[in-house]
Amino acid sequence: MIPFMRRTVMAEKTKPLPRAFAAVWAGLVYSYSLLIVLAAWEIVARAELVRPLFLPTVTSVVQQFWTLLAEGEIVLPLLVSLYRAFAGLGLAVVAGVLVGLLMARSRRFRWFCDPLVSLAFPAPKIAFVPIFILWFGIDHLSKILLVAFNCVFPMIVATYHGAVAVSRTVIWSAEAMGTPERKLLYRIIFPAALPAIFSGLRVTTPVALIIAFTTEMIAGGGGVGAALMFAQRFFQTPTVFVYILIMLATGFVLDHLMLTLRAWLIPWQDEGGEA
Amino acid sequence: MAAEVARLAADAGSLRRAFHFLPVVIVLAIWQAAVSFGLVDRAFLPSVADIVAALWELVRSGELAANLLISIYRALAGLAIGSVLGVAIGLAMATSRPADRFFGPLVAMTYSLPKSSLIPLFILWFGIGDVTDILSVVLACLLPVIVSTYHGVKSVPAVIVWSARAMGSPHHLILWRILLPGSLLSIFTGVRIALGFCFVLTISAEMIAAKTGVGKLIFLYGENGAYAHMFGGLTAVVIVAYFADRALLAVMHYCLRWHDSVYAAHRDG
Repeated sequence: MIPFMRRTVMAEKTKPLPRAFAAVWAGLVYSYSLLIVLAAWEIVARAELVRPLFLPTVTSVVQQFWTLLAEGEIVLPLLVSLYRAFAGLGLAVVAGVLVGLLMARSRRFRWFCDPLVSLAFPAPKIAFVPIFILWFGIDHLSKILLVAFNCVFPMIVATYHGAVAVSRTVIWSAEAMGTPERKLLYRIIFPAALPAIFSGLRVTTPVALIIAFTTEMIAGGGGVGAALMFAQRFFQTPTVFVYILIMLATGFVLDHLMLTLRAWLIPWQDEGGEA
Repeated sequence: MAAEVARLAADAGSLRRAFHFLPVVIVLAIWQAAVSFGLVDRAFLPSVADIVAALWELVRSGELAANLLISIYRALAGLAIGSVLGVAIGLAMATSRPADRFFGPLVAMTYSLPKSSLIPLFILWFGIGDVTDILSVVLACLLPVIVSTYHGVKSVPAVIVWSARAMGSPHHLILWRILLPGSLLSIFTGVRIALGFCFVLTISAEMIAAKTGVGKLIFLYGENGAYAHMFGGLTAVVIVAYFADRALLAVMHYCLRWHDSVYAAHRDG
């Protein structure tokens, strides 16, 4: 890039527009493709090029959203789903970080866990739904544990790689100064592995949501996923769209929260460039 | 003499590999012992021997092969379509500003959407079957490939592109000879993530609604209480997913054998 070319163009342009208006305009320009998609959807649905049963209008979806919100059909299922996702994620983080750190520090533990993790990591663990239902029932527990089961392996791998990458000189100097192993773990290796752990967390947060929603879709038992399947079975297409958009918004908001949290907790490391 | 040494080295290698998988054997042995000695109820956890027997029965009756092949077909067809589309869109986004402006917000919005939520909608549109399953797999595989291709192309040093252009390379040659090989490692990382997704999506779609497929098989046996058979189907899925991942790694190592970082970075992946 030639650095001086950009600056001269920018300098004059922003002046006449008021700031708030400029921000809104920039937002609209940025999301023009989304607006095109929405407009095309509305036109196709309005013109009834496809049956309303298959594609309701955007406006009817928005109306349905308000109706459902007023009936409490949105907040409660969402809270149930989020509880399952985050309880599972919490378990996975605690267990994954512990196992990952131990694998990085103990040769024998690594020997034992490595093949198990490499076998379980690529396995499509959603296939365990019937087994988890058999063991832990149809309610919260089976879903929370399945979320944890899905998230724990990426957490182990991320923590392990972060902990192994800690500079050996740092560990040696701590050991030379007589730091005991336990203190070494939580004073040096854990903080040094924190960025890697956070990258793992950013990968597993959407996984937790996906698994929570999907198990609800498969097994029922409340939550947004079950509500979505229920609406689909009764061909309430606007409701189906409302729940899909809610899942979309939840994922989007959570991803941005994770980035903010990361910037706040680990200000010395920024994930440059990633959206 | 040389042959002797090579044979010894191969023996040591296979011995080491066997030793590497010893923990899996230990876990299976503990499992079998726990069930045999009645520490765990057989109704909740069938023994390893029962599962192997059930798996053998499923294999012999051809039931497993039929369903597994359908699932693998759905997963890999979706993965292939999604990867090709993803690389194309990622390349377009990284090299053209209008494409970036157009696809960028769409990708940002849909990246975090759980793609399985679209399965009910697709069922509504296309009915139960291959189209629904493959389409949801395509969408799930598309986004990680787009994002990793985009980042891969962006991280190709601009100097190389400039010098190619200075020497008069046309645009399509720059794409084909420089940007694509330069981002191949990153593309493969994306495809590897997508490979994980493709099995998850196929099985979820089959569990939600399907007439065939290994997800349906597992779910049916689970509902009917034939737990040994359910575990048998599950074992087959785990094995297939493991070897698919290994196969992709092998292809990646072959395609990137010229790349210095591949050996160091993916030695233990």
